[in-house]
Amino acid sequence: MTEARTFKYKSNLSKQMSQPGGRSIHDAVRRADAALEGHRESGMLAVTTALGQLEEACRVRDNAAHGEIYEKAAALLDMAGFFDTGPLYGAAYSLCEITDLMLASGAWAWPSVDVHVRALRLILADGCVEGETSAALLAGLRSVVARSRPE
Amino acid sequence: MSRPPKQSDRVNLEQSTVLLIDDNPQALDILSSVVQGFGVREQIKCASAAAATDIIKQRMIDLILVDCAMPDMDGYDFVRWLRRETPRPTCLTPVIMLTGHAARSKIQKSRDCGASFVVAKPLTPAVLLQRVIWLASDEREFVQCDTYMGPDRRVRNFGPPLDMPGRRAGDLSTHVGAAVEANMDQSDIDMLIKPMRVAL
Repeated sequence: MTEARTFKYKSNLSKQMSQPGGRSIHDAVRRADAALEGHRESGMLAVTTALGQLEEACRVRDNAAHGEIYEKAAALLDMAGFFDTGPLYGAAYSLCEITDLMLASGAWAWPSVDVHVRALRLILADGCVEGETSAALLAGLRSVVARSRPE
Repeated sequence: MSRPPKQSDRVNLEQSTVLLIDDNPQALDILSSVVQGFGVREQIKCASAAAATDIIKQRMIDLILVDCAMPDMDGYDFVRWLRRETPRPTCLTPVIMLTGHAARSKIQKSRDCGASFVVAKPLTPAVLLQRVIWLASDEREFVQCDTYMGPDRRVRNFGPPLDMPGRRAGDLSTHVGAAVEANMDQSDIDMLIKPMRVAL
């Protein structure tokens, strides 16, 4: 049995943000966008490195390291998620989703990982551009994930 | 919540101290640049949740941005520690959790550990700033009980007061009463959400 207590609280952040001064939302977003853009090159390099590690893991197929595949996919997703990587982000998310599902069910299928990693490489080579090819790839990945979902 | 912010509205984060926590140094640098763009002058970067706990014990922080997935003490454990183990007003510090893979289970975990908001990637500065502005005008009450400490997790409408017409059956009372039965075991909760094959 637990007795819940509720109370109102005005945070320091709230008080500080209500002070006059600062910058317009437009200006703040513009500056932050520009700052983010400055990290794009190194960020995409990190994405490429993470993808290389996934390709190597798929080649080795160490069945004691399934959890590492999810971690590598999540690291790739984390970095891709900072930039406008469109279909690359979608494919990386799909890889996280399927590895998470397979880890939970205990039914690991390397071909499902392989097809995701190959799609990631194709999308990256194509400059992460949205188009018919990337749409078809993502549709294929969605059907692979759908098959892994519990009934 | 007040009216939606306009592009010409001003946002003042010059006096705010922001704590950034991420085990990936590159992600930490990116986040730092974005926050700096918002006009934050003082920010503290921590490569682990454990290092962040030391900072929090020493000084006041106005906003925390923390990555969900980290080795050892992850973002969820950190927020749970902040809400339950630190004195006021530290335990009430607004927290935004950042996640790449936003599986439903992870979003629920963020909500239940006491985070103010969860922001799923892809992360754009516009979305992040919007969440910070939401936090500043957050009117949710804090709930404190044996099993939870954090912003009110209920998102359904409270509806008009009890004695006024127009209330719907699903509207919630603003009063959080005492629990009427014993808390469920975690194993019972797990069994409720465990996918199971059924024979029809």
